[in-house]
Amino acid sequence: MTSYSSHNPIETFLAAAPRAQRAGMRALLSLSRRPAGRRLVARAPAAAQLAQVIEGLGRYDDPDLARSLGWDADAVIARGRELRRSEGRP
Amino acid sequence: MTVGLEADVCVIGAGAGGAVAAAELAEGGMKVTLLEEGHWHDPDRFTARPPGMLAELYRDGGQTVTLGNPPIMLPLGRGLGGTTLVNSGTCFRTPSYVLERWQTEFGLDVSEDSLRPFFERVEKALSVGEVTPELAGANAAVARRGAERLGWSHGYLRRNAKGCVGSGVCAFGCPTSAKQHTGITYIPRARAAGAEIVTGAKVERILLDGGRATGASARLESGARFTVSAPIVIGAAGTIHTPALLTRSGLGGGSGQLGRNLSLHPATGAFALMDETVDMAKGVPQSFYVDEFSKEGIMFEGVAGPPSYAAMSLPLVGERHERAMSNYPRLAQFGLMVSDSSRGHVRSVGSRTLIRYDLTDDDLARFRTGLARMRELFEAAGAREVYLPLPSGVAPERARRRDLKLMAFHPLGTARADARASHGVLDGDLAVHGASGVYVADGSAVPSSLGVNPQMTIMALATRLAFKLLGKG
Repeated sequence: MTSYSSHNPIETFLAAAPRAQRAGMRALLSLSRRPAGRRLVARAPAAAQLAQVIEGLGRYDDPDLARSLGWDADAVIARGRELRRSEGRP
Repeated sequence: MTVGLEADVCVIGAGAGGAVAAAELAEGGMKVTLLEEGHWHDPDRFTARPPGMLAELYRDGGQTVTLGNPPIMLPLGRGLGGTTLVNSGTCFRTPSYVLERWQTEFGLDVSEDSLRPFFERVEKALSVGEVTPELAGANAAVARRGAERLGWSHGYLRRNAKGCVGSGVCAFGCPTSAKQHTGITYIPRARAAGAEIVTGAKVERILLDGGRATGASARLESGARFTVSAPIVIGAAGTIHTPALLTRSGLGGGSGQLGRNLSLHPATGAFALMDETVDMAKGVPQSFYVDEFSKEGIMFEGVAGPPSYAAMSLPLVGERHERAMSNYPRLAQFGLMVSDSSRGHVRSVGSRTLIRYDLTDDDLARFRTGLARMRELFEAAGAREVYLPLPSGVAPERARRRDLKLMAFHPLGTARADARASHGVLDGDLAVHGASGVYVADGSAVPSSLGVNPQMTIMALATRLAFKLLGKG
């Protein structure tokens, strides 16, 4: 069984968005990843916050970074599988 | 080629309302066909990683947004279980003052006594019980300490969970199947009782003959069309999408209320940096509430999640964001939910449903007050720093709509029940005014904001509807 894991979490997240939002967010990210664009985005606090939301979602999804902060998704999933198997849960 | 199915009842949608109605009717001896646009989500594929799970378990990847001032994210689940698959599992009965309002303002026969057996039945089916302090974790303990020091009313929430170990990812697919969402409770019951369940089926319209239901037509993802012939149809596509279904079917438009009266629970969350280790994702994310201000329409409920979720929610940018995230183990978070006076509407444009919702002055005032009290709560708990969801330098009392960083939950009311056909879309039995054999069993039927999480209300009303159709009510 393939899991819902992704090698590119931001792209996976954006790909699920409605088309217009997806295009807008990709453009915003593209802009905010360039030094000049970042300065421009910083002038619009709401846009800067939105870019931070998406970048943060992707960056902290990294298993190694998450583990360094005390969160081990693989261990949570392994415990869930074991409980479901041993107790006959759905 | 059009394939045809036959049933006594066709239920459209497998969330809180549809799954319950389908199971009760099937167990009562009716032949039921349940159509669901989404799919079954196998827990073996869950990852406990928010980006991928948002994309898979939520409509639009959890990025459904309202148009208005301010724009608000409105996450909706999609699949067997609907939003019960991804909610926090919080269970409240409908508050008595809300039921009284429904009686006087909407002419509905919904006393506490009359609904009690249905609530009890649902609570038993879903193993509803109170979270223990141990399972609630340190994030709840922070809020509890603050509430106790301030003398604010508080408590542990009741949830539909069995054998929960506090995985911390209720909103991203419960990895232990402890959360008793309708996809693993009522749906298996419906199937065992003989219900036919078709997933990946988008219903095009409810079929009618002379104002009487004859079934529904639907299309599979392959493009294949099929019909279900049934003299009773129950719409349960959810508050956002049921109005579009009724409109496409030429139903429910008589009062002019279809798609209107949308109420939400707009919400936001604040963070605090504590001295102690919190590890917010270890424990039940939504396990504790502070209801000191509930009569003012302000409710505090726990929220929490893994680092990527926290990074997405943390109201900081740049170096401040990075610094706060480096202290993730010591971050606590709590949510502020407003019982709204704002009302929005939904309408279809092409294949999309647009949601319009503007925050009223009264609700803006509730957020200002609520955020100030949230700071008070965290400071009383000993927070070293509090991060309110406002731009830098904006105090809660001066916050403007555009300053608020909002999400919303619990959409209700877009096909509201009202005994008077001139004022509502449904009658007191949740039958569509002006039609025969067409009912609605989802949040759209709920005529007003509840101030609490609505899944139990929707399930109890769906149970009552099923009993009525079975001649038991």
